[in-house]
Amino acid sequence: MNPFETSQTGGFMHPSTFTRRAALQSTGASLGMLALAHLLPNASASEKPNARIEPHFAPKAKRIIHLFMNGGPFQCDLFDPKPALNQFAGQKPPEADLRTERPTGSLMAVPFAFSKHGNSGLEISELLPQTASCADDLCVIRSMFTDNPNHGPALFMMNNGTITPNRPTLGAWLSYGLGSENANLPEFVALCPGRPVRFAELWSNGFLPAKHQGVYVNHSNLDPLQMVPFLKNARWSPEAQSKQLALLKELNLDLEQRAGVDPQFESRIHAMETAFRMQADASDAFDIQKEPETVREAYGKSHFANGCLLARRLAERGVRFTQVYYGNGQPWDTHSNHNASTKNLCADIDQPIAALLKDLKQRGMLDDTLVLWGGEFGRTPTTENSDGRDHNPWGFTVWMAGGGVRGGLAYGATDDFGFRAMHDKVHIHDLHATILHLMGLDHEKLTYRHGGRDYRLTDIAGNVVKPILA
Amino acid sequence: MSNFLPCSIRNATACIYLLTALTVFAEAITISHFAVGQDPSSPAAPPPAATTPASDAQSVVDDKGDDEVDAEGIAFFEQRIRPIFAEHCYSCHSSSAKTLQANLLLDSSNSILAGGDSGPSVIPNKPDESLLIESVRYSPNHSAMPPDGKLLDEQIAALEAWVRRGAPVPSSEIASKIRTAIDIEEGRKHWAFQPTKPLPELFFVPPESAFPNAAAQQLPTSNSRIDVAIEHELTKHELSLSPREQQRGLLRRLKMDLVGVLPSPAEVFEFENDSSPEAFERRIDAYLASPQYGERWARYWLDLVRYCDVMEEWTETLGPTYPYRDWVVSAFNEDMPFDRFIHLQLAADQLPDARPSDRAALGLLGMSPSYWKELQLPVEIIKSIVSDEVEERVHTLSSTFLGLNIACARCHDHKFDPITNLDYYAIAGILANSKPSDVTLAPDLDAAAIVEARKGVKKLEGEMQPLLKSEKEEDKAKVAELQQRLDALRGTKGFDALLTPGVEDARLEVLPAEGSHGSKIVFEKALRDKAVEIRGNPNKAGETVPRRFISVLSHNTPPAPFGTEQASGRAELARSMTSDSAHLVARVFVNRIWKHHFGRGLVETPSDFGRQGTLPSHPELLDDLAYRFIEQGWSIKWLHREILLSNTYQQQRSFGAGDQRDPDQRLYASFPRRALDVEAWRDSILEATGELNNQIGGPPEDLSKIGRARRTIYGQVRRRELNDLLRLFDFPDPLTHSASRVPTITPLQQLYLLNSPFILERSDALIRRLELESVNDTDQRIEKLYGWLFQRSPTPAEWDKLRGFIQPNNDPQAWQLLAQSLFASNTFYFVE
Repeated sequence: MNPFETSQTGGFMHPSTFTRRAALQSTGASLGMLALAHLLPNASASEKPNARIEPHFAPKAKRIIHLFMNGGPFQCDLFDPKPALNQFAGQKPPEADLRTERPTGSLMAVPFAFSKHGNSGLEISELLPQTASCADDLCVIRSMFTDNPNHGPALFMMNNGTITPNRPTLGAWLSYGLGSENANLPEFVALCPGRPVRFAELWSNGFLPAKHQGVYVNHSNLDPLQMVPFLKNARWSPEAQSKQLALLKELNLDLEQRAGVDPQFESRIHAMETAFRMQADASDAFDIQKEPETVREAYGKSHFANGCLLARRLAERGVRFTQVYYGNGQPWDTHSNHNASTKNLCADIDQPIAALLKDLKQRGMLDDTLVLWGGEFGRTPTTENSDGRDHNPWGFTVWMAGGGVRGGLAYGATDDFGFRAMHDKVHIHDLHATILHLMGLDHEKLTYRHGGRDYRLTDIAGNVVKPILA
Repeated sequence: MSNFLPCSIRNATACIYLLTALTVFAEAITISHFAVGQDPSSPAAPPPAATTPASDAQSVVDDKGDDEVDAEGIAFFEQRIRPIFAEHCYSCHSSSAKTLQANLLLDSSNSILAGGDSGPSVIPNKPDESLLIESVRYSPNHSAMPPDGKLLDEQIAALEAWVRRGAPVPSSEIASKIRTAIDIEEGRKHWAFQPTKPLPELFFVPPESAFPNAAAQQLPTSNSRIDVAIEHELTKHELSLSPREQQRGLLRRLKMDLVGVLPSPAEVFEFENDSSPEAFERRIDAYLASPQYGERWARYWLDLVRYCDVMEEWTETLGPTYPYRDWVVSAFNEDMPFDRFIHLQLAADQLPDARPSDRAALGLLGMSPSYWKELQLPVEIIKSIVSDEVEERVHTLSSTFLGLNIACARCHDHKFDPITNLDYYAIAGILANSKPSDVTLAPDLDAAAIVEARKGVKKLEGEMQPLLKSEKEEDKAKVAELQQRLDALRGTKGFDALLTPGVEDARLEVLPAEGSHGSKIVFEKALRDKAVEIRGNPNKAGETVPRRFISVLSHNTPPAPFGTEQASGRAELARSMTSDSAHLVARVFVNRIWKHHFGRGLVETPSDFGRQGTLPSHPELLDDLAYRFIEQGWSIKWLHREILLSNTYQQQRSFGAGDQRDPDQRLYASFPRRALDVEAWRDSILEATGELNNQIGGPPEDLSKIGRARRTIYGQVRRRELNDLLRLFDFPDPLTHSASRVPTITPLQQLYLLNSPFILERSDALIRRLELESVNDTDQRIEKLYGWLFQRSPTPAEWDKLRGFIQPNNDPQAWQLLAQSLFASNTFYFVE
């Protein structure tokens, strides 16, 4: 698929076309000024050169941090207690005989205890004691389900609402729909201390213009210059560089006058402007060493902790959508040795998550920052390889916190064994519809014309899950 | 887009199940085709099945020579009754039901007669006394079945007729074998599996236009059959080709396409002043004859076969992979027939007329990704890793050559294409008997002996190292002895010869390690067919499948077996591809070449010509080109010329009516604008600075060390971590077949343009070139730079801006900044 082949070159005028051109012209005329403005304090952050669609209604959240437990955690270990699972361990009642990716055996007990937390009395596993201290902020959806038990398709579904790659992902839709809060940073950043499975397809712009694609940052090395390659110019002063870019811009606009407007031209001009501003802003934004030691210690210093802290810094600077993939490959994919692995994984995420939520709250950011936690699917209550658990698309848990959701809530329910979502079921499409709603977008109106039809993130489905809204 | 990776047991990459919904798990048995006798008693019997289905489509009755069985009755059951059961009953009343209702099973003879909680469901010959009949009639006081709606009258009548006949059913033993069957004969009807045909005559007369006033309604004006086909469609939409591109732009496009670098100002001058009608054709031939042509086009091939220079560190082979890359370059340069190109890559070791140097072609399999096998783990897990490796090979081979992903059928029949689970194991069997191992490219050398000697040397050197500084006599003696052995090993014939990963016939076997719960891997020379791995699980063996070609693509039913106990069958596989499936293979390849000339294929899913792929925009044209491609001896250079000499290729890019009537530009009313890929972009920069080193072939170089400035194809590709430049500019993941690169435009790319040492140094080099040529005047300098980069003079508006930029200081820094801006400009980055 060529991401540039949109109808916007043709006669099907998209409502946004006018705005796009207007935006282009206005930024075109002012690149030099923008560039100079960047040298002045606090001048550029208020620029919104590529915002083009106003929210459909007042947003509850302005930005999202998505903590992606890639591989798929097991819901009943963490947020969906199921006593019956332990009671019937070793048996295989018909309800527990759902097909997943691989054959599974009988029910396998959960060796982790649950207790009630906060004023809400939300039940959370002993594996997450610190996260549990934020119970009243968590809006747990226990009745998620998705369409495919295989990582690739499920990752795509969570990210782009289909089981195939090459569709625009949620972050790309938000970038397209809401533009930038800070034109000096990308709208959409995917952090991972390595490469999650399916890699760049998870932050694809699909058929949306390429500038909406997520910027992948490997934060396993904390030097911003390592995270974002070629961030600094070893030779030119910012002044020289901004003159240079002003020339480049003029030459590019001259080409457009001769050769016609082309989304590819436009994307490249926009990308260069962003790159120029990233030099200063990204060096700062991606530098968690600038955080006080107390903050570093509150988060911890694991890769995931660093990811959470980076995500907060980016959110603070207006990055619209930041994904933090837990780790390289798919660390939560515990087909064997499940309990021991889960214990380690939880020990690794617990402190950073709690620190992130508390940090956001303390800064007054939790009100308009939506934190989303979860994997691409859950895992089976039944056993695989004697001590593992298989993928489970039938029922799993995600939680949200902050930006417009009801804290201290457990919404929906799975069956007695936590296998299949049974009550108040929430499909990924519903989750997407709800997230867009919280961001001030009507998922039925956020469309893009491509190949003769208007596409939506939620395709032809999706209902906003109203009971979880604050 | 549906070029999906196969499902995988361990890695769990994308497996596309039947549906996008969970209904896939409600595995209702559907019977699409059974070989049964004619059934005169059927009131509306479908026509009898014409042929015996392929060996995997298990007939219910054909291996049951049981006299008491009412064969016709069973046929009636299969044709008329079982479909009703399958559609309406099995989800609750079969052994595959998730929750069995009323303890009633309708999928085997005994169980139908035995009935469920309410008693026998059928009393043979007595429909009115049979519960099943009463239920489907929705009779009072009986459960109304199926609960979601009454059956059609004729379905009820068929059930009554069946019971009246005595309710004949196949024996339960055989019934249990029933599974979804792919209808191979039906599958052959898919468009891509049909023979290709030359362009129909009707294309040479004016087509009916949807627009009565079509100005373009006239006879084709071009000799090119491509133009005939393209204009045929354009006319229907009241469109026409755009005018011919002007000379300069055309030469830029052509050289970028064929060679992958910019033309020099001198080339452009010469071309613009050559008014002979053959001028363009002569340029085509010159570029096709240049060795750089092979480098340009080999790279496209390397994407398909996940070429890399640095494989996994645990790979068993010792030699470097670049001989494969160089072999592909020279194959393109010498216009090796494409069928030969395939044969050598699959079986150069087995073709009597292959040159020793052709063994480099085996690198296609030799550099297959190798997944880590932790031998402390039990056999079951190691086996599944090995199966994943085989699957990757099946995926790459079938996607690359056939435009089909056979690997989808590893765990189950392909959900969309007529590829059976057995087809997968027939092909997997060939590859499972082919072991990546080093080969030599010189005659009369024993690669295995060389490998053995080199490993021995490494080991002995390790032993010798700690002893070298010792003064002890016994150590000295030991060193002398080791030295002797080393010398002997180094004396092995061809010890220093070039080795490269290829393939040999050997079968990998995973066995339990003695004295531990771990595993060991051994290679057996006695080759074997592979058993089905049930649901893709190598620890659950099913029936053994002869190595053979894919059923639906084979001329023979069933396909002839390949290989022996000594031969893997790769040679036969290669030959089948270019005979049995020649037309598919030709279509797939022609489409790839077309795609690289026009930016998109006639089929937009270049590695999926199955039912999930897109249909060709110009099916007759694709057919015609593929047909003639084969007729022309699979000559790739012929194909280039055919495309390049068309008006369709030589037209300009224009904004016009085409954009409205053809928003996706699938009709070719205008030439598309395309961003340069990373190779063409980097090579053109180096060409402009005069630094490009045109040395051909040899070991790769680190792209971040740019001393010698060789072409990008010679930049080292590390499988596990790509060089920044490649990663930022859309280079595909070298772990897997890449059907096409997805071009992106990102800020991080632009940071590279702003700040990378590469760009800063090239800007210096460009200005140095001005100095070397003693161009000192500002205007002359600008003129030169524009000539090198854009092959033209600046426009008046550009003159103003450029002079305005330089004039205040006219210092070296201003020139370097300017040079960098030109490299970063959109004019440089796009070709049209």
